[in-house]
Amino acid sequence: MIKVSNLSKSVGTAEGALTILDNISLSVESGESLAVVGASGSGKSTLLGILAGLDSPSTGDVALADHIISTMDEEGRAAIRAQHVGFVFQSFQLLPGLNALENVMLPLELHGVQGAQQKAQNYLERVGLAHRLTHYPKQLSGGEQQRVAIARAFANTPSVLFADEPTGNLDAVTGSTIIDLLFELNKAQGTTLILVTHEQRLADRCRRQITLEAGLLISDSANDSRTTAVSASVELSSSY
Amino acid sequence: MKSLRFLLSWHLLLRNWRSGELKILATALALAVAIVSAIAIFSDRLDQSISRQSNTYLAADRVVSSRFLIPTQWSSKPLEFSLQQSHTTEFSSMVFAGDEMQLAAVKAVADHYPLRGNLMVSQIAFAVGDEITPARGIPKEGEVWIDSRLIPLMNVGLGDILTVGNKDFIVSNIVISEPDAGAGFAVFGPRVLMNAIDLDATGVIQTGSRVTYKWLLAGDEKNLAQFEQWLTPNLGDHYQYVTIKNSQQNISLALERGTQFLMLAAIIGVLLASVAISITAQQFSNRHIDQVALLKSLGASAFLVRQLYFFQIIMLGVLASLVGISIGEILQRIIAVSLSSLFSIELVGASFSAYGVGLMTGLLCLVCFALPPLWHLPKVSPLKVLRRELAVDSIGVWLKGSIGLGAIVLLVWIYSGDSFITLTIVASLIVIVLISALLAFTLLHSSKRIGSQAGSYWRLALSNLQRYRTQNITQILVFACALMLLMVLYSVRTSLIKEWQLQIPENAPNHFLLNISPSEKVSVQALITRQNLTPSPFYPMVLGRLTAKNNIDFTKLDQQKSNALRRELNLSWSENLAANNILTEGVWWNQWQSSTGLPGVSVEAEEAAEIGLAIGDVISFSLGGLVLQAEIASIRSVDWNSMTPNFYFLFSPGALDEYSANFLTSVFIPNQQRALIATLLKEYPTITVIEVGKIIQRIKVIIDQVSKGIELMLWLVLLGGVLVLIAAVNASMNARMKETGLLRALGSGKKLILRSLSMEFATLGFIAGIIAVFGAETLLLGLQYLIFDGQIKPHFELWIIGPFVGATLIASIGLLCCRKVVSIPPSIVLRELDM
Repeated sequence: MIKVSNLSKSVGTAEGALTILDNISLSVESGESLAVVGASGSGKSTLLGILAGLDSPSTGDVALADHIISTMDEEGRAAIRAQHVGFVFQSFQLLPGLNALENVMLPLELHGVQGAQQKAQNYLERVGLAHRLTHYPKQLSGGEQQRVAIARAFANTPSVLFADEPTGNLDAVTGSTIIDLLFELNKAQGTTLILVTHEQRLADRCRRQITLEAGLLISDSANDSRTTAVSASVELSSSY
Repeated sequence: MKSLRFLLSWHLLLRNWRSGELKILATALALAVAIVSAIAIFSDRLDQSISRQSNTYLAADRVVSSRFLIPTQWSSKPLEFSLQQSHTTEFSSMVFAGDEMQLAAVKAVADHYPLRGNLMVSQIAFAVGDEITPARGIPKEGEVWIDSRLIPLMNVGLGDILTVGNKDFIVSNIVISEPDAGAGFAVFGPRVLMNAIDLDATGVIQTGSRVTYKWLLAGDEKNLAQFEQWLTPNLGDHYQYVTIKNSQQNISLALERGTQFLMLAAIIGVLLASVAISITAQQFSNRHIDQVALLKSLGASAFLVRQLYFFQIIMLGVLASLVGISIGEILQRIIAVSLSSLFSIELVGASFSAYGVGLMTGLLCLVCFALPPLWHLPKVSPLKVLRRELAVDSIGVWLKGSIGLGAIVLLVWIYSGDSFITLTIVASLIVIVLISALLAFTLLHSSKRIGSQAGSYWRLALSNLQRYRTQNITQILVFACALMLLMVLYSVRTSLIKEWQLQIPENAPNHFLLNISPSEKVSVQALITRQNLTPSPFYPMVLGRLTAKNNIDFTKLDQQKSNALRRELNLSWSENLAANNILTEGVWWNQWQSSTGLPGVSVEAEEAAEIGLAIGDVISFSLGGLVLQAEIASIRSVDWNSMTPNFYFLFSPGALDEYSANFLTSVFIPNQQRALIATLLKEYPTITVIEVGKIIQRIKVIIDQVSKGIELMLWLVLLGGVLVLIAAVNASMNARMKETGLLRALGSGKKLILRSLSMEFATLGFIAGIIAVFGAETLLLGLQYLIFDGQIKPHFELWIIGPFVGATLIASIGLLCCRKVVSIPPSIVLRELDM
């Protein structure tokens, strides 16, 4: 699904060029779940941005769903994102003026999907927010907001879901429930999951994990035993 | 796909509307359009109505006037151009009733006269109030309507016979006023109004008779303009095309100034609206950066984002403009209703283009002021969803400024239609803004020093002002600009109205008494003073004909060129130069030395130019067979609208002593004492009474109407100013709410916060007020000099009122907008702001 070879990213600063990612190569199979871990400033989010087509590398190639996105311009990458990519963000990124249902409907409408409202409603029901459809983000708790964001990400049936510190703004209990939900939907839809986190507990639930340090890929290991331990059913409670 | 995007834009618009950001922009736009349309629609109606009302002073929209008959081949033309027409024929003639005879000003009128305005009649002589009614039609064949003055003069009454030339007429009505009575001394003798059909039967008009033929025309401005195009090349030397502008200087001046004021009001309204739109659009743009980043991360291309926002803004623009036009329409209707109840003006409907001006202004403001801040939105990087700190490349301040400035130039030019005025206004605004920024910086800086020694409210307020210095300077500039524009408008309106009121003082003489013989002078004066009235000085007046220049007689050709050479002139002398006379050449008697030993004469400038007279020329007059020669000592310009006696030829003292003079005076006779006129005419039948009161009254009504319209415009623009202030306060609201929310969370009391907020806003307002006064004075200086041609003087009241009004107004608006901060729990305030 994703193939990266010799990817580097550097930016110009007052002190000269700063290398954020250095000669990274990796490939992610379809349906695989990959955790990107590393300390703050190790280049995790930059890598995620490039893999998702939000940014382009300085050198190297990135292929997403058989499209070489590293040579595409922003317009081309936008088209790929529209077709294949879903996101879950640390800060939820819900539009404050839109209610839960409308937030989920937004990407569907953007891509001209028929029956957007019904589809969005189904996904909100799946994340346990059937009773919160018309609530605005400011009327929802952090966990609820992230569930809306998850519903929005999956409603568009992406091939790859990119999650950037999805539990970063949540307490441990809520975070854990959100992670259960994320993996459950991921499994049900067979989506490829790329997850950036600095939480080892969360990284351990992915089938594979890579570690970045100062822009270098220092380890790439499989976690088969842990992945199978993921709970198959998720209790969708709204106790938080 | 396009319709789908349109639909999506519509959905987004509706959803964004709920979030509140668009509400501010739409309200700003709608209010802006409302103000502009109300001004455009109302001023269009007022302009048209006043023009039409003023045209009643011509009894038509246009008049062709001549000493010769209007060519018969022209008579089919009005029909071709869809215009109405009528004719009048005016001449002086002796009229007879029994043994009495009198020189009367006869006017024969054709059907449809008057085309504009009303002919007012009564069954009672010297009627007032309800006794006067508008005439139905014109005198029937064989009937005449006569002036009240003829009743005591000739001992006639209604139903009596009055003879004009060879024909007897029945007196059937009394003429109280005619729309086209004319001003000044044009009308000699009491009016006799007859039907044009009877004209031939009187046999009065012979070849060579002094007759004025008038062709009255009325219709749409467009048709009149086309007609004028056809007429102008055919006019020749003998036919004069008369419009309200060239016929009534007083009214046309009032109209011109009024129109200029409305233009200025519209410009200021638009400028204020533009500022409001710019501020709110910038705010909208800032709040939408995250939304665009999200849309792009979801796969929306830059083109799609541009399309979505463009559709939203255009839909918003059109809807807000339509709402604005509707509000504008309602506003102008309210104004029109209140005006009509005050002055009973019959307002004509606005032309369609006035509504277009509102819509065009709205869309132009949107494109030039709202789009530039939004332009960079599609370029927001989708990466911003991951890295919020990522900088956004927005259009440069200079480019935005240039687009805004370009739009301002365009708008001012559209409204003023004058490149020079446009350049002046825009250049002054730029200079004022630059100097104001410097001034604001200095004032803010000095407030820091004061703040360090002040109490807690002040210290908090002033340290806030210091911390956000850049934003505060911008805000002060916006406040100052709004206040400045309002002050300019207020001052112009005040001085304009004052100037008009001065132009026609209360109790200005409304009657002229002519032909008072030296023997009657004392008794006439006594008769007037017995009524507790004060006549102006009695001017001696000698009738004489100008015959030669430098001992060369004027030829027949000369006489054709100048009316003054064809008739007897009223000659007078005066020791002093009258207040409304200005010497344009030469010197007055006290400095003058005769080079020929002849007495001196001062000549009115236009007359001198027409006849070809210059300083030092010796001119000869024939006075009842005697010859008087005089040397031209000076040339004067004369204000013929001053309602005081004026003369073409004024001699040096003593020059006319040998000639038997009659006297002329003017007096204010109030309505309730009008019987005095009848007494005067009965006791002194040779005296001529000319009534100018009606002319004064008409001018007053016009000036009142224009003044009232101007007042209302001021209020409308004031609304625009307040809107700008609200927009500017709102733009800084997030930061303020966050800070005060935090202060409250940390335990600061409501009182402290409210007081410090009011101090902060009041200080901003006070500084803005000082800058505004400075700017307003500068702008007023330019405007008075360039447009209004008035005296340049400082407006001391502004220096006192300005800063305090600024402080109060901005503190009130600021507190009103910030009241939420103290009424909602701080946790909610902070949480909402995090969204």
